[in-house]
Amino acid sequence: MSILINKDTRVIIQGITGKQGQYHASKMLEYNVKVVGGVSPGKAGNNVFGIPVFDTVAQAKKHTRVDATMILVPPAGALMAALEAYASKIPLVIVITEHIPFHDAMIIRRMGIKENIRVLGPNTIGVISPGESKIGVMPGFIYSKGKVGIISRSGTLTHEIASNMTYKGIGQSSCVCVGGDMCKNLNFIDILKLFRNDDQTESVVMIGEIGGAGEEIAAQYIKEYGYPKKVIAYIAGSRAPEEKKMGHAGAIISNGIGTAKSKLDTLEDAGVIVARRMDEIMANLL
Amino acid sequence: MKLYEFEGKSLFRKAGIPTPDGITVRNGDQEMSGLDKLCFPLAVKSQVLRGGRGKAGGIKFAETREDLMSCVNELFAMDIGGEKVTKILIEEKLSIDSEFYAGITFDPKALTPLLIISDQGGVDIEQVAASDPDKVIQYHIDPIDPPKFFDLMNLVLETGVTGKKMVQISRVLVGLVNCFFKFNAITAEINPLIIATNGNAIAADAKFDIDDSALYRLPEINSFHRGKEDIQDPLEQAATDAGVSYVSLGNGNIGLIAGGAGVGMATMDMVFEYGGEPVNFLDLGGSATPKKTADALKIVLSTPGVEGIFINVFGGINNCEEMAQGISDVIDELNPVQQITVKMRGHSQDEGWAILEAKNIPLIKFGTTEEGVKLLLDEMEKKGVKSRVNTH
Repeated sequence: MSILINKDTRVIIQGITGKQGQYHASKMLEYNVKVVGGVSPGKAGNNVFGIPVFDTVAQAKKHTRVDATMILVPPAGALMAALEAYASKIPLVIVITEHIPFHDAMIIRRMGIKENIRVLGPNTIGVISPGESKIGVMPGFIYSKGKVGIISRSGTLTHEIASNMTYKGIGQSSCVCVGGDMCKNLNFIDILKLFRNDDQTESVVMIGEIGGAGEEIAAQYIKEYGYPKKVIAYIAGSRAPEEKKMGHAGAIISNGIGTAKSKLDTLEDAGVIVARRMDEIMANLL
Repeated sequence: MKLYEFEGKSLFRKAGIPTPDGITVRNGDQEMSGLDKLCFPLAVKSQVLRGGRGKAGGIKFAETREDLMSCVNELFAMDIGGEKVTKILIEEKLSIDSEFYAGITFDPKALTPLLIISDQGGVDIEQVAASDPDKVIQYHIDPIDPPKFFDLMNLVLETGVTGKKMVQISRVLVGLVNCFFKFNAITAEINPLIIATNGNAIAADAKFDIDDSALYRLPEINSFHRGKEDIQDPLEQAATDAGVSYVSLGNGNIGLIAGGAGVGMATMDMVFEYGGEPVNFLDLGGSATPKKTADALKIVLSTPGVEGIFINVFGGINNCEEMAQGISDVIDELNPVQQITVKMRGHSQDEGWAILEAKNIPLIKFGTTEEGVKLLLDEMEKKGVKSRVNTH
């Protein structure tokens, strides 16, 4: 069994009628994802590639069972889209949108915790359980089904490492991108806990980067409670200058906090296998 | 977006936080309007966005008009950490009873704003936290239920400050919390918060870092005029205008374009790892149209010293065909002499590969980033360009 999503997961897309929404809806249908609806205010009654469009999340939920929602709306509308999903108690909310105002992201996080809803992101490519389902914007064909779980802050590094694994015949159970922003909901530690109890997953690859403390917190968890599966970690940005935002809002070394060295040392101390280059991840999986 | 002290103080005044009376002078101004309303002695403060201003001698004091002129001239001749002084804030010097610290920043561990106060103001708060942790009071702010006046009074009481001073400081903290939320700050700091000899609390400095992603809804911040003199790195500015993220790295000869921040950082790390020297980091981000891709490539081509460029992108949220078209357009338009290699896969990869192959661009389809880096370094060497400059 994969984590977070599987072939039975029924998903809606908030922002389905936009250019991005339509494109990724079609890609998810190609991947045989159960896309059961889309939300776009004022567009109820239309359809996108046969997917019915509703005005609100509540209307969509009235019409059909919804297990998850993918939010693909512009940054200014993302907070309201998330709160709308929370109000309808959608149990898994995946916020793809990048460049959401930081104060909105804090409220998305805080309200998600308060309403006890699993929120992935913001600024994520989503999650894929290869061969089962994908809720996100990743190209499905570079991923393949197998036994390695991936947790990453970076979308394209997830593509890179998963595709390199696929070409070498190593498949993945689920690949979860926790997102590139400073303030996010599900983090390394939460996904590690899910992989811990997942029978399909035999080893876990953590792809971190400079900034924040999610990797250190995960390392502390592994050290404190032990972890029954092999964990391999890679951290991007070991040569990044300090006080510079490296593409992701959360990828910044500030006042000496969040260096690659601090993360690698903490992970190594917790017994995690540390890869200094990405191809060393592969070497440790073969 | 970091704010200058004088800009931050204008936000403080809007939030009811007292600041010293003062005027801002720009290099080239013919007169200092409003100067006659100020009483000597005056503090003369260079306005720069980098830290370390005090230690660098960027703050001076003037007893007389003659003093003031020489201070102003001296400061305009200075640069602080490479940042040229083009603006000066002239304020009435405060008579100080004591100095306090108040700041709100985002706690990367708890993922919530952290209010920090201390009665040891005027010095680096990190140093106080290290040497005298009892003197630093921390309070995690709930973004949906920020602290109220009475919460803040209870907090200030923990520092040992009492009476009128305590009330004055707590009022300032109410304003600081309001500023943090209203102006979508990532950091908002007053150091030092002065208690004057007459008992009033006054913000003697202002440090703000405003969330770039929220600027669209912050008219107060957008009203701050930023001119040519405020641009620290013209290439970083051109990148911002093109909607991509660019960081100058130094004196290398390898230009980088990556689809995604993580791949961008990993690519940069790997160039170093294999002996090359990257000159920049560039994250193309999402919505990579042919034009955006072309703009990014032109920015890297115009980076001084660039002799080879590695483009490492995915068709995820983007589309390979559109990115390849942008690269092809630049080659048609500029016919660059620099070696370009590309690693590309994902949505519409076959179409993208065909476009690049038609331009004879060395291409990695199924290989790793490591292989892509090595391909560029090898291709550069074939052309007689030294690409492996680091030996380690």
